[in-house]
Amino acid sequence: MSARPELIAIEGVTKRYLTSSGPVEALHDVSLSVEEGAFCTLIGPSGCGKSTLLGMLGGLVTPDQGRLVVEGKPVTGPDPRRVATVFQEAGLFPWRTTLQNVEFGLELQGVPAERRRRTASDLLGPLGLSGFAEKYPRELSGGMKQRVAIGRALALDAKILLMDEPFGALDEQTRVLMGEWLLDIWRRTRKTVIFVTHSLHEALFLSTRIAVMTARPGRIKAALDLTMDYPRSMESSEMVALRAKLWSEIREESLRAMR
Amino acid sequence: MPRAGAVTVVALRLGLLAIALAVWEVAGRMVNPLLGVPPSAVLPSLRDLVLLRSYPDLPANLLLTVREIATAYLLAVAAGLGCGFMLGMHRLVGQAWGPMLAALYAVPAVVWYPSLMLFFGLDAASKISFGFLLGFFPIALAVLAGIRQVNPQLVVVARAYGAGTVTVFRRVMLPAMLFTLVGGLRTGLALCVIGVVVGEILGSKAGMGALINHAYGLLRTGDYVALVLVTLVLIVGSDVLASLLERRARRWTE
Repeated sequence: MSARPELIAIEGVTKRYLTSSGPVEALHDVSLSVEEGAFCTLIGPSGCGKSTLLGMLGGLVTPDQGRLVVEGKPVTGPDPRRVATVFQEAGLFPWRTTLQNVEFGLELQGVPAERRRRTASDLLGPLGLSGFAEKYPRELSGGMKQRVAIGRALALDAKILLMDEPFGALDEQTRVLMGEWLLDIWRRTRKTVIFVTHSLHEALFLSTRIAVMTARPGRIKAALDLTMDYPRSMESSEMVALRAKLWSEIREESLRAMR
Repeated sequence: MPRAGAVTVVALRLGLLAIALAVWEVAGRMVNPLLGVPPSAVLPSLRDLVLLRSYPDLPANLLLTVREIATAYLLAVAAGLGCGFMLGMHRLVGQAWGPMLAALYAVPAVVWYPSLMLFFGLDAASKISFGFLLGFFPIALAVLAGIRQVNPQLVVVARAYGAGTVTVFRRVMLPAMLFTLVGGLRTGLALCVIGVVVGEILGSKAGMGALINHAYGLLRTGDYVALVLVTLVLIVGSDVLASLLERRARRWTE
């Protein structure tokens, strides 16, 4: 890989939750670094702490031990100017139109109405939402809602985009198309993306780096670097071999998680 | 709604009103005029009332009732919002005292009225406290229901996008609970009006309830119905006021 500067450093992070059945260790001594412009995917069994890790990067969850550094500064809380998050549930505000939802983050930052309106309007084209500026979330399909949520994140123009299973709630076909669309957006905007998914296909199709996490407590089990060009053929012999390797890593952990 | 539909709605509404008046007219002519009067007999009474011939002190009494309602409502809104948000925002407090609030609401409020009269006397204070008691519960409970209704995911989103507590409250909680909250405020106002008027009828020296009492006590049935009609206008007027409040609230959150 090229020697791009390291944008995100996760250093020995541990997190425990107190539950009714006692303390549960969600993450144990996780370290990972991500360079600028990367598309880094976290994949692993359910409950392995992927979302917790993403929450920490977004400043919504505080680690018990270790620290997270973004652009040389430790994460102490949400910092939407540097880190924008897309959640699994679109989480759109039902009383706001598409345009107003996309503008939300800029509004909180105090960007003047005219400028944020322009930024949001310019995004609607690439989002494939041109005719839907004045629609409310209830009038949009699942895929559209998720694109509005992604637009809301892109409008912040933060360097880092955190995506927590953004297509997890969509049907298979929509999901594949959204993956292709996201790839296009990522290549144009050159964001650094941290992407959480359960889908091998998504991980292999999109990522420059895949981090496989273990069953609870979550640790980084293996990290694969992918150097194939985009758009990728899922049928190439290289990809088939990689898929088999990735699956064997994940299968082991998923079996452990089921026990 | 298309224009033609709106016209039909108004026509149907006026139609029902006309039928009701006709039935009342026919039935009113058949009963003892001391007990019931037809609308045609109410009209002269209404004219006398409005021209201040039958009850020259109508304006003072009307004003008193309006002032009692306004005071009761302001107190009910302040206490209802305060109590509702306190119970709704703090989990422990809500768990401990929320059910007690709901249980108190289930008690027919009128059982408290004798005590209120003993404590506050026959004047405005007992009416205000009774109106307050009736209006307080739906407001407090609407706040509680509204807070429960807020999708926690939206709060997480807002926080991730840099919202602090105040912004989360203003930009997420309030708009998300607006309809429930405004519904509660409207019900609260209606119940405040009922509380004050019922309080006046149960025992008072002044106010619309006292005039109504006076008229039917003397079997001045025409005057009695005319007074009820004026009170009705007051109640409908307060609901119009509430709907204005609703529209304002919606504009404010947008």
